Amino acid sequence: MPDLTKPTLVWTLTWDADWVTAVAFLGSSRRVAAGNNLGGVLVWDLPEKPGGDPPKPLLKLDGHTNCVSKLACTPDGKTLLSSSYDHSVRLWDTAARATGEEKLVLNATAIADAERRKSNGAKVPPPIPATVGVVKTSQVFDGHKEWVTALELSRDGKTVLSGDDGGHVVLWDVAGKRVAKRWQVKGWVAALALSPDQKQACVGERVPLVFDSGRHAGLKLWNVATGEVAFDLSAEFKGQHLGAAAYSPDGKVLVVGRGGESEGTLTLVDPVAGKKGKALAPIHQYGATDLAFHPDGKHFASAGRDTVVRVWEDATGKLVSELGKPRGGQFKDWVHAVSWSADGAWLAAADMAGAVQVWHFAG
Amino acid sequence: MRCSLSLPLVAAAALLSGPAGRAAEPPLRAVIDSELKAGWKKAGIAPAPRSSDAEFLRRVTLDLVGTVPTHDEAVAFLADARESKREKLIDTLLADPRFARQQADVWDQVLFGRHPGNADATRKRDGFKAWLAKQFADGTGFDRVAREVLVGEQPGTELFQVQFRNQPEEATIAVSRVFLGTQLGCAKCHDHPYDRWTQKDFYGMAGFFVRVVIEETSSGNTKTYTVAEKATGEVLFSGAAKDQQPGKKGEPVRPRFLGGDELTEPPAPKDAKEQQPKAGAKLPKPPFSRKEKFAEWVVAPENPYFARAVANRVWAQFMGRGIVHPADDFQAENAPSHPELLAALTRTLAASKYDLKALIREVVNSEAYQLAGTGPITDALPKHFERARVRPLTAEEIVLSLRTATSFDAAGKPPTPDDYFMRAFGEPTNGLGDFQGSLAEHLFWNNAEQVRVFARRKKGNLTDQLLASTDPWEKRVEHLYLSVLGRRPKPAEVSKFVAFITGDAKPEPRVEDAVWVLLTSSEFRFNH
Amino acid sequence: MSPLCRAGEHLSRRAFLKGAAVTGGGLVLPNWGGLAHARSAAEAATKAKKRCILLWMNGGASQIDTFDMKPGRPTGGPFRPIQTKVTGLQVCEYLPKVAAVADKLAVIRSMKTHSPDHPDGIYHMHTCYKMSERTPHPELGAVIAKFNGDLGSDLPTFVRMGSCGNAGAGYLGPAHEPFSLGREGKLGAFTSPYLAADAEMKRAELFRFVEGEFAADHKAEPFDSHRTAKERAWRLLRAKAVFDISKEWPAARERYGDTDFGRGCLMARKLVEAGVPFVEVGHENYDSHADNFVCHKANMQHLDLAWPALLTDLADRGLLQDTLVVWMGEVGRTPQINNRAGRDHYIRAWTIVLSGGGIRGGQVYGATDADGKDVRDNPVSEGDLFATIYKALGINHRAKHLSGVRPVWLTPEGSQPITELLG
Repeated sequence: MPDLTKPTLVWTLTWDADWVTAVAFLGSSRRVAAGNNLGGVLVWDLPEKPGGDPPKPLLKLDGHTNCVSKLACTPDGKTLLSSSYDHSVRLWDTAARATGEEKLVLNATAIADAERRKSNGAKVPPPIPATVGVVKTSQVFDGHKEWVTALELSRDGKTVLSGDDGGHVVLWDVAGKRVAKRWQVKGWVAALALSPDQKQACVGERVPLVFDSGRHAGLKLWNVATGEVAFDLSAEFKGQHLGAAAYSPDGKVLVVGRGGESEGTLTLVDPVAGKKGKALAPIHQYGATDLAFHPDGKHFASAGRDTVVRVWEDATGKLVSELGKPRGGQFKDWVHAVSWSADGAWLAAADMAGAVQVWHFAG
Repeated sequence: MRCSLSLPLVAAAALLSGPAGRAAEPPLRAVIDSELKAGWKKAGIAPAPRSSDAEFLRRVTLDLVGTVPTHDEAVAFLADARESKREKLIDTLLADPRFARQQADVWDQVLFGRHPGNADATRKRDGFKAWLAKQFADGTGFDRVAREVLVGEQPGTELFQVQFRNQPEEATIAVSRVFLGTQLGCAKCHDHPYDRWTQKDFYGMAGFFVRVVIEETSSGNTKTYTVAEKATGEVLFSGAAKDQQPGKKGEPVRPRFLGGDELTEPPAPKDAKEQQPKAGAKLPKPPFSRKEKFAEWVVAPENPYFARAVANRVWAQFMGRGIVHPADDFQAENAPSHPELLAALTRTLAASKYDLKALIREVVNSEAYQLAGTGPITDALPKHFERARVRPLTAEEIVLSLRTATSFDAAGKPPTPDDYFMRAFGEPTNGLGDFQGSLAEHLFWNNAEQVRVFARRKKGNLTDQLLASTDPWEKRVEHLYLSVLGRRPKPAEVSKFVAFITGDAKPEPRVEDAVWVLLTSSEFRFNH
Repeated sequence: MSPLCRAGEHLSRRAFLKGAAVTGGGLVLPNWGGLAHARSAAEAATKAKKRCILLWMNGGASQIDTFDMKPGRPTGGPFRPIQTKVTGLQVCEYLPKVAAVADKLAVIRSMKTHSPDHPDGIYHMHTCYKMSERTPHPELGAVIAKFNGDLGSDLPTFVRMGSCGNAGAGYLGPAHEPFSLGREGKLGAFTSPYLAADAEMKRAELFRFVEGEFAADHKAEPFDSHRTAKERAWRLLRAKAVFDISKEWPAARERYGDTDFGRGCLMARKLVEAGVPFVEVGHENYDSHADNFVCHKANMQHLDLAWPALLTDLADRGLLQDTLVVWMGEVGRTPQINNRAGRDHYIRAWTIVLSGGGIRGGQVYGATDADGKDVRDNPVSEGDLFATIYKALGINHRAKHLSGVRPVWLTPEGSQPITELLG
């Protein structure tokens, strides 16, 4: 068993074309995919053991035209789903063959910045080149008419819950892309999660206005079958919109994290009774961005706008370990997303600074 | 042309020779009247008649103690048959403790205005006003007052400098305006187009303030300020605003007294480094204080600007216009309307060691001050002083006058919501002294509970007195007029008010409304 | 009933006096609105001088996310442009209704201004002068109130709601001070008389008697100014019904959007229709140093309803040709996107939109470079913008006043109206 108290940063996979906004391990393979703010998706094959130079990406998945908001992969590793601000969710066959090749410089932005500041003595770093195979084929789920901001795949990898800035929450199946249920919340979907039995959905809503009377934030637990509200926790989370939500594999714990820019408090919720529980400390200063349960079902990881990933024990809310440190400055950049490997010994984090951090927990 | 003094020659000569050389000078009040009469004759103007006793009583009471006279004061003064009753009244009011407070209110506004800089620190100025009031109560010469305000080290005086925190330019503009009667604002960005002042003059003056440091210490919610001074630091001048370029460095400008010499100061040691006080510690007093030198120069007898600026301002305070008008704009293109008179006022003020009370006594004893407010002229501030000036009451005066007029304090001293009054009446003019009625003011008068509270019946107050009295209504209307306007009503007014009040079976609402009408009338709103 | 004929609208003091005469000089308050309820209301309004509505984007809207889009550039952000029927004018995908009225808009993409922060920028973009000057400059609204307003009218001449200007009437004085409504267009403090209508009338009559007695031998201007303002306040209270949009709102809610800003825009329309020469409506939430895109998306969804609805309503009523509608804030926002997903203040190259009275719509004026970092063509200063606005409203932009002894002009020396923008 990996010791979750002992994280080691083993590789930083540079990709600084823009913010890296989403990340997911592909099934139980060594492959990890990441998406960025421009709509690009790259896939890396990680070495079996820590050490050595960071691996180079193998594939580029070409299709999105705007920010990739979330990535998720079926447990069999065969289908990667990506949601985007281009209103689509794409489904990628991970076995698809590349139809072309492209040469990338993974640190092109850093080089350009240094070139610009050369006269002030900036050092231009050596380029990190990579050649990737380009995959252009994917299926499109077009059931959204707005930025798709949230995406959750059921444990069995067969059902998707996705939500958008138009307030639409859609339940659909991976195999046929058929919509099973659709409902609309007040405002926009800020974050969502699907319970393991697929009977309940947690949806955070918002209208991001500050002073106008039209501002809105809400947190509701929905009965998926009927599209009705089971529990409305908006009053308990008054004025707070969610940055992330996740159910434990046994369905007994729901963790919600407050979004930015605010005190990114993580709170445990009893989803069966619809009761707000313990608030965890410390907070993700300026907001939480993502939550991911460990395969053991007893731990989860959280990410936020403080460039720190934290690992927690879900039964007690105890902090187990912290991955990384706040990078300094009044406002920190973000870790947008986190993903566990199937064996629970590896964690990948999507870093706004233009990289995927790969952490290892020795066993 | 650049002459060293823009004062009329006569005045300059008078300043230099001093009052000792003029043993047989007539009292100032007589000079005032003879000078103004000469002006009327020259302009072919007939002045307004002498004010009525009631009119004078109200005017001088407001001007000297900041409120309208009470009913009883009005009755007593109107009944007084003595020839000298006006002079006696003036003496009484000048000896009243409220005189010092009223003067403090007036000068607080001169020194700060309604929107001083560094608003968080200067919004509440009770301490500063108390300090000012004490100086007026003690009869401290105004040269001493000015010096202390400029240096800002005596406890209570700090806020004047605090309002300019980090802005020596703002200090230069304000200090020149208030204490020297000179507008330097234009010369900040370019050479003054209408006056002799250049940017060099401006930045020469700014050199006296460039080292001022405002230190802030807080304990709990209260902050205290100290006006300290660094030992080093210069104004850097880089030419006219229109020629400014990014990266252009400025040349240090030596401090120079306005229209006078550069400051002589001991040279700073070559490797002088500014001492950084430890956290929480005060900056040590510098070996050489520029601001002290400046303050001494301002009030020195040789300074041609200070005495005339103060004299002119006091005149304007009571007569509406300055002899140089606006009062803080002495310059070649803005000649005094009565140069001899200004010279006399200036001379008297300096000779009296800047005793403002003595100067005020002369002004308000003049026939000119005591002219009626009637006549065909529509100017609020007649150019030849041929009619009493009309000025809106300040917010502070309105609150006090409402209290006085309605016997508001008859049952204890209920607080009044001064903030509301400040908002409604704080700025009755367009910034140039021209009164403009505003919608907001009248919505407040008309609908505010904060106003109504003065008119509504309450035990012992005016409305209650009127309702409780068994006198005939004619007599009660007279009581109402004397209380609010300090005069007896005309017959038409009596019959109209009696008809109004008795026109309803229940007199109480009508009496309240009658009181309200007089309180919101223009006769009450202004000093005239 | 004619659609131009709406309860509670009345235009001038003359109309009031006429109506009052009908009732024998009495001020019959409850029926007041009906009295001046003339068929020619809109007609009379259009005969009056030009009016102006300022839609104030408080905090500073992002030009790159609205009217000067840079798709595919590093500064472009996640929004996509849509084409309008005006050549060269693409706007944000979240402004489709604005795009549909693009023929009415003159988009200035080349604002280059000088005050980068809020208080100073708000002052500068309301007065066209820097805040640090000692002269108390008047806001746009006060200037328009003075030159195009009628102090004899029942209604205030300078009305505003929401977060707006910070300079007030300056040297023009209290008569031209703004009359502030609540953010949602509600009347402010002290607008509800505590007396019943008949008691109010009797009290007013006694006041007029007292003033008449005093005025017989007291002729100084301030007295007159005092009682004139009192009469204005009374007329305003009687005209209060104009500020009540509860009847119009249900029908307008969907078009204007059920927001403070939507209600404000409907109120603005109603007020200019009733003859108010200047109305400012503040729209909040633009100061997005963090999360710029979601904030702007939310704002644009409101803006895209209220603004086109206002323009369309004005046009339908024949009022747009005499009503200048200005869309601006105090600053633009940086092309660079910061690490809070925000954009900061930017004054080197940003956008303002004019439409309606005196403006030639359907054009883009000025241009920025590929990333929107600098003005490429035709930079426009605060003074030029204000000169253009004043010219469009028939006001001499070099009109002179005295502040103390200093002569001051409505716009700084060298300011020029931009003739290409004027119709």
